[in-house]
Amino acid sequence: MIKKSALPLGRISLFLAILVWLALLLVDLVRIFGMINNLDSGVSEEVTWILEILFFIFIYLVYRRIFWKNKQSDFLTLIWRGVSTGLFAASAGLLTEVIYLALGESKIGTDPFLRNVFYHINFALTSAFLIFITLLWKHLILYQKNKQVVNQWQVFEISLLGALFFVFFNHNNLDYSFLFGLTILLVISILLAVNLKWIPYLNFKEKWKTLLFLFLIMGCTVVLFYRVLDSGNEGNLQINLTDNLFLLALFGFVFVYGLFSFLVTLFNLPTSSVFEQKLTEAINFQKLSQSIQPEESEEQVLDILLDSCISASFSDAAWIELNPKESFQVKNPLRFLDESIKTEIRSLLPKETQSWVPASMTEAHQAQSIRIAHANYKSALMVHLLVNKSLLARIVLIKEVKEGFNKEMIGIIGTFARQACISVENHRLLNQAIENERYQEELKIAQRVQKALLPLKLDHPASFDICAYSNTADEVGGDYYDTYQVNETHFVLIMGDVSGKGTSAAFHMAQMKGVFQSLIQLGIHPAEFMNKANGALSKCLERNHFITASIFEIDTINKSFCHARAGHIPTLWYKAAEKAADFISIEGLGLGIVRNPSYKNHVQEETFEYRSGDILVLLTDGILEGRKETGEQFGYDRIKIIVEENHQKSPIQLQQEIIDALHQFVGGDGMIDDDYSLMVVKFK
Amino acid sequence: MLQLERTKEGNKDILRLIGEVDASNSVLLDQSMQEILQQGATFLLIDGNQLGYISSAGLGVFMSYLDDFSEQGIQFAIFGLNEQVTEVFKILGLDRLIQIVPDKSTAITLGNEP
Repeated sequence: MIKKSALPLGRISLFLAILVWLALLLVDLVRIFGMINNLDSGVSEEVTWILEILFFIFIYLVYRRIFWKNKQSDFLTLIWRGVSTGLFAASAGLLTEVIYLALGESKIGTDPFLRNVFYHINFALTSAFLIFITLLWKHLILYQKNKQVVNQWQVFEISLLGALFFVFFNHNNLDYSFLFGLTILLVISILLAVNLKWIPYLNFKEKWKTLLFLFLIMGCTVVLFYRVLDSGNEGNLQINLTDNLFLLALFGFVFVYGLFSFLVTLFNLPTSSVFEQKLTEAINFQKLSQSIQPEESEEQVLDILLDSCISASFSDAAWIELNPKESFQVKNPLRFLDESIKTEIRSLLPKETQSWVPASMTEAHQAQSIRIAHANYKSALMVHLLVNKSLLARIVLIKEVKEGFNKEMIGIIGTFARQACISVENHRLLNQAIENERYQEELKIAQRVQKALLPLKLDHPASFDICAYSNTADEVGGDYYDTYQVNETHFVLIMGDVSGKGTSAAFHMAQMKGVFQSLIQLGIHPAEFMNKANGALSKCLERNHFITASIFEIDTINKSFCHARAGHIPTLWYKAAEKAADFISIEGLGLGIVRNPSYKNHVQEETFEYRSGDILVLLTDGILEGRKETGEQFGYDRIKIIVEENHQKSPIQLQQEIIDALHQFVGGDGMIDDDYSLMVVKFK
Repeated sequence: MLQLERTKEGNKDILRLIGEVDASNSVLLDQSMQEILQQGATFLLIDGNQLGYISSAGLGVFMSYLDDFSEQGIQFAIFGLNEQVTEVFKILGLDRLIQIVPDKSTAITLGNEP
């Protein structure tokens, strides 16, 4: 940022201007004294002219500073300042007249010194007024800048500068060169005077005020001009300050531009409302096209839309009908009319407009002008608002005159309506996007949490190898597996499957883990575990949900395992001795299906002995039900065969075989539409 | 894809399932059964002849009505299931709580048993 100098230029200029004025006065008084006493004062004309020029320059600097500081002020404030300066100068002049009239031929009245003082005072005020108004006109002319105008103004300024120093060549004689210079300056003034683009921006009231102010300014100008002519003809003066090309040119410029402005403002009065109307429409359009802020609602957009439509068409009354499907209400759906009249008019409108199904897209976008035969209202305009291909609302505008809606009104109302619909659509899409993003974030968090629920390490002793794998269909899922070391010789394995998939299954999976981790510490047997688990889960499962589970308690000393199955996919048991695999068959109802103590009659446990080389494969139904494009499922038999053929491999390898086979079976076009999990145990 | 067809034969309401029941349409099954119960059915049969597959969501729907059936004394049976689907019911253990019969005639005679 360039810091403007701290020097109060305005004050310095003002000070210097006053100083110069005093010098002018002094010089003239000296001259008069010399003339009275028939002495040669020794002060040449040039001194006065130089002082005069300096005075003009300093006054110009003072006012230029004022204008620069008040750049943002509106026209009227600045014009008013011009008026007040003018009134001050003119009244000073008139007052001087009056004083001299009163004084008449008295001693004081004829005193040349006093007369001179008054002359100088009036000269200063007149110059100040003219220079101020010139700068004011400059501000107005350059309101809408383009290259041409700026160039023209610069030519004018240079010419004025020339006129300022012209006095040295011309000595203030009204000869041909003087008149020539004056004419040139007047012509340029007229050329500049067509730049009146600031006038349409005034509203009706402001235009009247402007007319008054311009009238006053021109009045003051005329008064001051006559005074100048008067005092010029007096002949009493030694040096005529005011027969100056510069000042006269300014008189001309001020008057010409003032006159043009006055006339144009006057003739613009009848049509000023059109411009104001256009301005209001543009503002309304901008309001409608702004994104709906978080604090605002769709209702507010419709509110603004209704108001805009009414004002754009000068309607006498209007209402808005909202599609009953919408969840929000419009607080004031009726404008300037009551419910009964609305119902009357509604019945006069075409029947198709009663329904909320848009007949066709193009039709619905336009506004429809309708003639109605009502006592008070003779024409109506119906506007449809379409959002995302469905009808959001209908606006009906009515007027007391026939054919009250012209093409232009229909056009602008259509534009408003479309813009409002876009705003509403955007608002809804944005909300959806935000919700989706939030949802995605939540899912990611859930995924992280759930990953932590499955064990990283599976407890096992040296006597068997174990591995497990789980894959969710969505970000989170309902499959569960876990292990627990009771003591050095007893281990528990469990696999569970919550019905369904996704977030609600994931929640229940977490509950299952809690139940398992608590109950298993009690050292209870599998069937009892299932019974107690059923009791616990019955309290927290949702209505349509159940959990299946398979549990194994392995005794490595006795080489046996005790097993219970609660509705879960049967476990595959490969017996090394028979070199064959079979699914363990044992009855058991899923958890959460019978939510009372009678559940214990629906579950059992059985103990089996195992041998070295035996393999247990626990699964969930996702593996079983993975299917091809044809609809054929992976099925029990394939798993059986894979295990039999790969029985010599380690659990990890066997697990991989099964998963690879599953994916190969399903192929690119098939589906594994569920969570799937797998646990392989190989006894050494 | 799931289609549901309701018919009535005498005092028996029959709901035919056509297609597959999974998580996305299990709510339709739920709604249908809700409607049937609200209309005061006393004997509900599910025709599963054209049911290709049922997921745990679908099973959950049936299971959630078991209490209602026993409280209101409504007779309930499913018939015509293919092998695969029957197997699913058996593994879960639902076959001990829901009557699953091979065909319609057997299902109808259930009502005549004392």
